[in-house]
Amino acid sequence: MRRRLDVQSVLLTGSLLALAVLWLLPIVWVVVTSLKMSADIVRVPPEWIPWPPTGAHYYEVLLGSSRTARIGRAFANSIVISVGTAIIVLITSSMSAYALARMRFPGRNVVFTMLIGSLMLPNAVVLVPQYVLVQRLGWLSTYQGLIVPEAATTFAFGVFLLRQFFVTMPRELEEAARIDGANAWQVFVRIVVPLSQPVLAALGIFAFRSAWNDFLWPLIAVNKPEMFPLPVALALLRSAYSSESYGPIMAGAALSALPLLIVFLVANRRIVEGVRLSGLKG
Amino acid sequence: MRAPARRRRWRQAWTAYLFLAPGLVLFGLFRVYPLVEGLRLSFTNARLGRATLQYIGLANYTRLLDDTRFHVSLSNTALYTVASTVPILVIPLVLALALNRGALRTVLRGVFFFPFTLSVVTVGLTWLWLLDPVVGPFNYYLRAAGVPARSWLGDPSTAMWAVIATTVWWLTGYYLVIYLAGLQDIPRDLYEAAALDGASGWRSFRAITLPLLRPVILFVVVTHVIGSFQLFGQVFVLTGGGPGDATRTVVQHLYEAAFQNFFQFGAASAMAWVLFAIILVFSVLQFRLLRGHTEY
Repeated sequence: MRRRLDVQSVLLTGSLLALAVLWLLPIVWVVVTSLKMSADIVRVPPEWIPWPPTGAHYYEVLLGSSRTARIGRAFANSIVISVGTAIIVLITSSMSAYALARMRFPGRNVVFTMLIGSLMLPNAVVLVPQYVLVQRLGWLSTYQGLIVPEAATTFAFGVFLLRQFFVTMPRELEEAARIDGANAWQVFVRIVVPLSQPVLAALGIFAFRSAWNDFLWPLIAVNKPEMFPLPVALALLRSAYSSESYGPIMAGAALSALPLLIVFLVANRRIVEGVRLSGLKG
Repeated sequence: MRAPARRRRWRQAWTAYLFLAPGLVLFGLFRVYPLVEGLRLSFTNARLGRATLQYIGLANYTRLLDDTRFHVSLSNTALYTVASTVPILVIPLVLALALNRGALRTVLRGVFFFPFTLSVVTVGLTWLWLLDPVVGPFNYYLRAAGVPARSWLGDPSTAMWAVIATTVWWLTGYYLVIYLAGLQDIPRDLYEAAALDGASGWRSFRAITLPLLRPVILFVVVTHVIGSFQLFGQVFVLTGGGPGDATRTVVQHLYEAAFQNFFQFGAASAMAWVLFAIILVFSVLQFRLLRGHTEY
C-alpha cells in the first residue's frame, strides 16, 4: 500500500514539474530574446541559448534615443505611482477599517455594506466620469491623477481585508492602553498598526501590484509621453518598432517584470497570504 | 448618569467619523460620484469640450440597439466570458488538487503564480511573440509535430481562442492560490472517515471536496465573469480587436467611443451602464445557481 502510494506521488510530482517548466517557458523565451543579437532573434529553428549575449536592447530602451517614451523614465513613473498608491491605500484603509472594526457609530452597517458592494463594481463603468472629474481637477498627465483614482479603486478591498484582521485581534492591549490614558489615535498608531504589520505588508504589495499593472486608466488619463507608466509605454513601444525588432520590446517586457519578481521572491508568502485573504470574500 | 453616557457615545461616534473621513472622501469622490454621474451623462449628449449638456432621454440607449458593432462586441465578449470561464474553473482546481497532496507545494505554487504578477501588456507582448506566425517558437514546434503553421491571431476563427489561452496562462496562478486556500480549510478527518467507510477518491471528491468548495467556486466564477466582461488589455495588445472585428470587446468599443472618436461621453456612459446591468444580472444569477443547491 505504502509503495503504491509512493509511485503515484512520484509520477504526480514528475508531471507537475514538467508542467511547471512548460508554464515558465514563455517568460524564459522573453528573456532569451531580449539578450540575443537582432539577427539571431528571427532565426528558425528557435535557439534557447542567447549566444553571444548582448545588452544592447536594454541599453536602447533604457537610455538610448528611443523612438517613443523612454522605458527608463516610464519605469521611474511606475515606481512613483505604485508606491504612492500603496501608501494612500494603507493609510486610508487602515483608519477606516479600524473604525469599522472597533467603534460604534450610527451608519456603520450602511458604510460597510456600501464598501463591500463596491467590490463588485466594474471599473469600466466609472471610466468616463472619472476622466471628466480628473480633467476638471486639472490632474490629467500628473502623478496625482494616476495615484488617487488608483488608490480609490483598491481602498474598499483594503478596508475589507484589514477589518477582517482587526476584528480577530485580541482587545486587551488596546484596553490597557486606554486605561493608561492613551486616546484612540495613539492606540491606533502605537499598538494596532505595529501589531498588524504582516497584513499591512500584504495589502501594500497588493496595492502596489494593481497600480503597477493597471493599463486602461493610465492609457486615457495620460497624454504626455514623459508621464507614461510602464504598461502604456510598452504598448506604444510595440507600435513604434516594426514587428521584426522584438529585441527592444522584449527587453522592455523583461524589465517591467523585474520589480514584482523581486518583491515576489522576497515576500512570496505575504503575496500568497494577501491573495488567499482576498478569496475569503466569496 | 445618562447624560455622560450619551456624551461618551457621541464622542466615540465623532472619533469614528474622523477615522473614516479620509477614506470616505476618496471613495465618495472617485467611486460613488462617478457611478452616479455616469448614469446622468448617459441621458445627455455630453462630449469632450461641450459646455452645455442637453438631456436627450433614452436616445443613447436606443442608438445602441442599432449599433451593429456594439452587438458584435457584446457577442464577442459573451463568447470570451463563457469560453474562458470553463478552463479558469477547471485547470486551477485540478492543479490545486494535485499540489495539495504532492511535494514541492510552495515552489510549484510560486511558478504557476508568477505570470499573475505581470501586467496585461507584458503578458500580451509575450504571447504576441510566442505566436508570431513566421518566427515564433509555438508554430515552429507545431510544425515539427506535423501540425500546419497558422497565424493564430490573424485568423478570425482562432484569434479569440488565442486571447483565451493567454488569459488562462496569466490568471491560473491567482485562482490556484484561492483554491489551495479553500482546500486547506476542509477538515482532514472528513476524508479519513470517508476512507474508513471505503469511499473511493472520486467519491470523496464528489461528496466532500466539491460541496465544501462551493463558496470558493462561487467566488472564482463571479470574480472571473466580472473581469471577463471588461476584457480590454489582452485584446488591445494582441489583436487590436481584429482581424476585422473578430475580437472587438465592449470595453474597447466604449474606449473608442469615449476617447478616440469625437469623445462621445454620453454614448459611452450608456454603454457602460448596459455593461453594468449585464454584469449585475449575471452575478445575481450565479449567486442563485451556486448558492441555491448547497445542502450540507
